[in-house]
Amino acid sequence: MSTEAAAAVQMVNVQIDGVWHQFPKGTRVIEACSQAGKFVPRYCYHAKLSSPGNCRMCLIEMGTPKLTPDRKPVVGADGKPEIAWIPRPQISCAQDVSEGLGVRTDSPMVQECRKGVMEFLLINHPLDCPICDQAGECRLQEFSVEYGQAASRFLEAKVKKPKNVELGPRVTLDAERCILCTRCIRFMQEVARDDVLGIVDRGSFNTIACHPDRILDSNYSLNTVDICPVGALTSTDFRFKMRVWFLKETKTIDVNCGTGSNITVGAREGVIYRITPRENNDVNGVWLPDSHRLNFRYVNDPRRLKQSTVKGQSVDWRTAIAIAAEILKSKSSEQLWLVASGRQTNEELFLTTRLIEALDMQKQHDIVPRTGQADGLLVAADRNPNTSGARLLGLCTTKPGSRFKKLVDGVRSGTIKVIVTLGEDLTRTGLTEADLARLEAIIALDILPNQTTAHATVLLPASAWCEKRGSMINLKGRLQRLNRAVNPPGEARDDWEILRDLVQAVAGSNGLYMIEDVFKAMAAEVPEFAGLSLSRIGDLGIQVIKEKAAPSEEATA
Amino acid sequence: MIIPDPLLAKIDEAITHYPVSKRSASLPLLHLWQEHFGYIEDEAVAWIAQKLELSPINVLELVTFYPMFRRQPAGKRHIRICRTLSCAMAGSYRLKEAVAKAAGIDLEKWRRGDSEAEHGDQEHDAAHHVHNAGHGNPIAVSEDGNFSVEFVECLASCGSAPVAMVDDLFREHVGPDEGEILIRQQISDATRKKVLPPHPREKRLVFKNIDRAGWTNDIECYLNDGGYEDLKKAFKMKPEEIVDEVKRSGLRGRGGAGFPCGVKWGFIKRGGPKPIYLICNADESEPGTFKDRYIIHQDPHQLIEGMIISCFAVDAHLAYIYIRGEFPEGAQILEKALAEAQAKGFLGRNVFGSGFDLEIYVHRGAGAYICGEETGLIESLEGKRAYPRIKPPYFPAVLGLYQCPTIVNNVETLCDVKHIISMGGTGFAKLGKPNNTGTRILCVSGDVVRPGYFEVEVGSVTMGELIYDLCGGLKEGRKLKAVIPGGSSAKVLKAGEKYKIKDKELTLEEIPMDFDTLAAAGSMAGSGGVIVMDDSRDMVEMLNNINEFYAHESCGQCTPCREGALWMKKITDRVLAGGGTEQDPEVLKNVADNIAGKTICAFGEACAWPTQSFVLKFREEFVAKAKKLAPPPMPPEYTSEELIEHPTIETLRDVRTGSPLAPAATK
Repeated sequence: MSTEAAAAVQMVNVQIDGVWHQFPKGTRVIEACSQAGKFVPRYCYHAKLSSPGNCRMCLIEMGTPKLTPDRKPVVGADGKPEIAWIPRPQISCAQDVSEGLGVRTDSPMVQECRKGVMEFLLINHPLDCPICDQAGECRLQEFSVEYGQAASRFLEAKVKKPKNVELGPRVTLDAERCILCTRCIRFMQEVARDDVLGIVDRGSFNTIACHPDRILDSNYSLNTVDICPVGALTSTDFRFKMRVWFLKETKTIDVNCGTGSNITVGAREGVIYRITPRENNDVNGVWLPDSHRLNFRYVNDPRRLKQSTVKGQSVDWRTAIAIAAEILKSKSSEQLWLVASGRQTNEELFLTTRLIEALDMQKQHDIVPRTGQADGLLVAADRNPNTSGARLLGLCTTKPGSRFKKLVDGVRSGTIKVIVTLGEDLTRTGLTEADLARLEAIIALDILPNQTTAHATVLLPASAWCEKRGSMINLKGRLQRLNRAVNPPGEARDDWEILRDLVQAVAGSNGLYMIEDVFKAMAAEVPEFAGLSLSRIGDLGIQVIKEKAAPSEEATA
Repeated sequence: MIIPDPLLAKIDEAITHYPVSKRSASLPLLHLWQEHFGYIEDEAVAWIAQKLELSPINVLELVTFYPMFRRQPAGKRHIRICRTLSCAMAGSYRLKEAVAKAAGIDLEKWRRGDSEAEHGDQEHDAAHHVHNAGHGNPIAVSEDGNFSVEFVECLASCGSAPVAMVDDLFREHVGPDEGEILIRQQISDATRKKVLPPHPREKRLVFKNIDRAGWTNDIECYLNDGGYEDLKKAFKMKPEEIVDEVKRSGLRGRGGAGFPCGVKWGFIKRGGPKPIYLICNADESEPGTFKDRYIIHQDPHQLIEGMIISCFAVDAHLAYIYIRGEFPEGAQILEKALAEAQAKGFLGRNVFGSGFDLEIYVHRGAGAYICGEETGLIESLEGKRAYPRIKPPYFPAVLGLYQCPTIVNNVETLCDVKHIISMGGTGFAKLGKPNNTGTRILCVSGDVVRPGYFEVEVGSVTMGELIYDLCGGLKEGRKLKAVIPGGSSAKVLKAGEKYKIKDKELTLEEIPMDFDTLAAAGSMAGSGGVIVMDDSRDMVEMLNNINEFYAHESCGQCTPCREGALWMKKITDRVLAGGGTEQDPEVLKNVADNIAGKTICAFGEACAWPTQSFVLKFREEFVAKAKKLAPPPMPPEYTSEELIEHPTIETLRDVRTGSPLAPAATK
């Protein structure tokens, strides 16, 4: 920590396993230990929740400065205060560091405590790891290896508890696996603010449950599965689908709304199996709405567009692009319109602006607005993930969709003859199918069939959000990165490549070979991106627009 | 659902007792509901939750935690029989059978039903919500629905064991075969006086009026005897002076931990932004202890006077008496007494024109021992499961009831405050011994001729005098085997052992009954409950009974106690059933070691100390019952049932030594 920061926050001296460290006042002892490289195992403690201190896994030895009768600290030979150790082990999850605190994280007493707690947690546990979804990412397994013992001394019958209980539509409970850490209960009380989970019965028979009148149906219910340290709560959607160690995990961002929650996509052999939140305290903390994380099946939809076509006939990409360019160049600019999307990446939007410039259609474009109810947590009213980017790059006005009236009027009056649509169904702009039939040509880039693709003259199969790289800006003005988790199907291509080829075919070579080049070109033109590159964005993103500047009606996260 | 108006009125009235948080009214509402409807269904849970603006799970959590609440109907007359140690020693298991026989209850059928429930209820498994029969001793109902019987944990009248409750009526000295009499008679022994006069060695202070001829529990009787004079005296003092007097008296808490009362009061910062609360802990439930019961039933005004003085001293304007659920008659007596005190102007607005306002309400628990732990009690009073809080940071004096400074004192302790005002702190300190001042009510149960309560100056009698003089010695032809000196959680002391105290060596009989000496002897004075065991007792059986109590009463919040308490009980169950293995004594001790000192509250010690001490002191009895060779690694095909059934169990042996393999080495 720099000296300036130290001056701002009061620092305290803490001895951890014999070494003195400094921590800011207010640091939890368990966190201080982690920062000092001495990880203390824990089950019930979660940095984002209150500390009940119930699992007893984080017991350590603690001591306070030894005091003289006139309450002055006794200083040892090394000039540091001597420590009076508390004879009983203490939990490290509920106490903040204090001046002169002493901590032992690996003493024989601590080792005994951990061994004891591990044994207690396992005596009534079913040990059904081979068929447990948590296997591979289970703290019981991990800490058993690290701190447990190999042999079991338990000769008694295990406590039987309910299994396969649907606590709600998306979460399944195996009460026998539960270690009663209460993370799920506290999450529902403190974060989701929907107090539906509790413990019924008593003692060793304690069981997590809901009252039948109010079940676990919150849009945040699956976060309980994430924070469950064992296999007690599993995702009904994911359970028994895939062993977690086979999942290739990709860090990317959610595109279901303008919050831009950070996520991890778990996929195997081109198929996504689950999406889990990824910690980013400037965006989503460690949480993610169920609606967002479960919205990925369409990526593997068998109807995915896989082949470029012209008037319904399969053609190769070169031909498709050439014909599209031909159509565009054959019209005067007022005969053209372009429907962009708030789901496009900045790179795609930037190339779209190049196309707009080349075709001189500066005011004949807009993006399709998508709105819904904000939930006050992570679901934003703006359901487009990159409205901020579209606005910054000039693809829409402050009010997305406000130009569509002109589009509809132009199509109906016959002025507008060709529309380029980048991932949007044109019927969302107010045009009807009859209007689409009246057009001379539609150049459509998309991933799934819809009314527009059915009428498309040139159809360009593109990539879903999880199949591409690029960047987006969330509603709070944070620039974040998408990464490719799976490959696009069939002949489908990366959107930015399609757009680059189209711009090239319309306006000539532009020297963009890699997506990094696109970002570089964009950074040269857009002051907000100055000095940045895709790699510099990092996994957690960078604030590029002042938060206040982001429109408040949509920024809700 | 139709709620009759009188019930609704009672419900609304109960809610007014909790001006700070409606949630606190959860337990009272559940009691009212069950009194009226007989049991509490999910629908009732939802109704109560809505009434108190809670989520239904908040209430379901309570119904399933507190054993006194039922989710199925009981018989028209419900009989609770105490199962815990002293009653079991006096024949309560036989009594239960006798009651079942007299009432036409097929216990075997209900036992089977329970074991099925314990193995997971299939119907519930499939439903959204689940709760198994779990913790409760099952209620067995007669075919005609007229009677039901239930084994409950300690009813706190160990000196008149075996005891029972017939609906709300308390019954004592029930003969083990008097099932018929018990279920037919509608009488109460709650305020029945003992015929014997106090023993000459006694110093009756708090128990002055207990069993007194002509004494009643109403306020006129109390006032005629000089009652509430000390209150008047206290109100002429400054509150700080009262605190100083209590400090000077050296009074140590009578609940079990023996913490100096004045020091506790001194932690309270007066004049802060938060209100200060006082709670009387009347959740007397440590097996072997039965003193508060008599104060509450026979001399409630003494307690109330002590409470008012204490509230005045710590500046509390709202106080609760948290009384254990199994004292329904006690709760009524206290409510009547409070109303009387209120009518006399000792309570309510502007007490004695001093400007001091005070409200005291009675709050009933519902059968959970853990509510005796002060932070568990506070949680319970807040309308939650009685999960003790972590300390730090939740020291009651700082973050107590509703996160405000709170004093929690035992019934006897609060009574002592009255006497400290009467005789002055210095006067009180003259009783007993230094650091062990005042009197102590010793409750003796088990194998003595005259079990009962004896109020003596602290340390003025020895264990031997208590047993042989005050209690009339052991039964004919029996010899002393062991004594649990301070409630069932206290470590057992073995007869014939020598205890080195300071520079003296004392026999068990020579140990004076004070806090410090008993601590030095490796046990504790605790709550004053002395359980005496003679040479007819099987120590494994004794421990098993205690283990069952603690396994049943563990709140289950933290890992070591939740898992360990039941494990220890299962081991002693198996050993008693003939399935003992050679490693059992060692495992028992080690499991207990892994609980004590590692839990959120002192229950960890409470459940571990009996096992630690019984195994240590009576190892030979455990070894004698644990003959089978089945140390780990045990062939996994053996279940605990098979261990019990098989005469011998062959396990892997070391090829070189021929002895059983030691537990597999850990990394």
